[in-house]
Amino acid sequence: MAKTVKIALAGEGGQGVQSVAGIMVGAANDKGREALYIPNFGVEQRGGVSVAFCQISDDKIGSPKFKKADLVIALSDRAVRRTTQYVDENTVFIYDSSIEDIEDDLPKNAKKVIGIPALDVAKKELHPRVFNVIIMGAAIEATHIVEMPEAKEALEKKLGYKFEQNPKLRPLNFTALEKGAELVKELL
Amino acid sequence: MAEKPIQGEKRVFMTGNEVAAWAALAAEADIMYGYPITPQNEIMHYWTRLSPKFDRGFLQTEDEISAGFTTCGGVLSGKRAFTATAGPGNTLMQESMTMAEMMRIPLVCVVQQRGGPSTATVIYSQQEATMTCYGGNGEGFRIVYSTSTHQELYDYVIKGFNTAWTYRFPTFVLGDGYQAKMRESLHIYDPATKGINMVATEPSLGLEGTPGVDRDPQHLRNTYNTEEELYEVVSELVADYEKAAPEIVEYQTFDTDDAEIVIVAHGIVTRAAQAAVKELREEGIKVGHFRPITLRPFPANELKEIASKAKKLIVMESAQGQFDRMVKHAIYGLTTPIEDYFKPGMGITSEEIVEYVKKGM
Repeated sequence: MAKTVKIALAGEGGQGVQSVAGIMVGAANDKGREALYIPNFGVEQRGGVSVAFCQISDDKIGSPKFKKADLVIALSDRAVRRTTQYVDENTVFIYDSSIEDIEDDLPKNAKKVIGIPALDVAKKELHPRVFNVIIMGAAIEATHIVEMPEAKEALEKKLGYKFEQNPKLRPLNFTALEKGAELVKELL
Repeated sequence: MAEKPIQGEKRVFMTGNEVAAWAALAAEADIMYGYPITPQNEIMHYWTRLSPKFDRGFLQTEDEISAGFTTCGGVLSGKRAFTATAGPGNTLMQESMTMAEMMRIPLVCVVQQRGGPSTATVIYSQQEATMTCYGGNGEGFRIVYSTSTHQELYDYVIKGFNTAWTYRFPTFVLGDGYQAKMRESLHIYDPATKGINMVATEPSLGLEGTPGVDRDPQHLRNTYNTEEELYEVVSELVADYEKAAPEIVEYQTFDTDDAEIVIVAHGIVTRAAQAAVKELREEGIKVGHFRPITLRPFPANELKEIASKAKKLIVMESAQGQFDRMVKHAIYGLTTPIEDYFKPGMGITSEEIVEYVKKGM
């Protein structure tokens, strides 16, 4: 039986974790794989920690949520504290290195804990709005649920209409995706 | 008439709420009545977006009391009508659902369970099992399908309309917030391509001709004057329900033939139970799983037979014993020990089932 890859993406409302989770699992589905994605949501309309639970497999997927993830990506201090519960000795835990005063809250039991400067790169080198696409690149590199060309196809499918309006957005998004992969590649 | 919403069959990847809307379209539902409540909202959203293209109707009412009664009204006028709700909305809808029981109104209601009691969470639970099966001042003359996948959600919404119109009992498709909000793959199809014909609908009111002259009078009542009169009517309902039950009841078994431990679960928890059984069997542990698809009518005889051969039952649900009571009622008289695994308002994963089963050995 093929292993199911389990990913928990967590950030502040508005950081776009749900959108990239949707694009990522959509890419896996388009490739004919089984994918299941469930957002965690509360009664609040905005704000709060937003978690996306994703599973990708070659077989039908069991329960929509899981106890432990293969990959956790946490993008704020609250997101780090919220998601350490999904970590065990098989988990790669990625967080944004710009989060302050988080050292003590990082998981101690993970297979690997990796800080990446995604927010900085987005702000200084690319554009703050592609922050989540950098994260998507990192998630794909860490799990290989799909490969880069398929991820680009999925972005094209989702954002193609925006790319038509402003052609500069296409290379910007694709660069962000590659940059995300690059940020984690050496550290895995 | 507008062309069919789905031609042939195709693989899609969507949320359960979207699935429910597409299924109702494919099932030739004429109209939805509804009032928004999370996590069911998008059934309405998708329906309102899709239905105008196919000449179907929608009415947003002022609350769920009204949504339930207008659905009854739609059905009485001969429309294939449905509604959808959750949580406190399901509570408000119960009065109209008992009217549907009493007057044999074949409506369809999709329930996406959220946490309770009261407002609680908008996320997930199996805490509306009792209410959906037995709510209101009725006797549970209802059909309740408890689904676990998007494919089943699609299949049973379509089937639900036919069950309702065949047997004329209100029919529920009992999902939950996970099923409402998650995305997974399924195949949607035109029912005709699977040999499924939609059962014809007919009006109960506004019929042609003079009652008593051209046709028999329609006798639609939910009010009775004497105990004897009511007793006779309810006895007929009981007899009709019991006659129909064996034709309606559905369940699934997984590795129960030689199972010493049988996990009993319904709805989305069956996914975790199925995965856990697979994993535990690989380790040589004799565990099986029984899953009622219909909670009303309940597959009592089938469960009883399996339970009588087992050394232990474990009832698992995301509620504090609502399903457990149905199980115990069904197998009354057996001495097979029963363990409870209750997680009210919380999801249950295959990992924790595996751990629990092993710990108890």
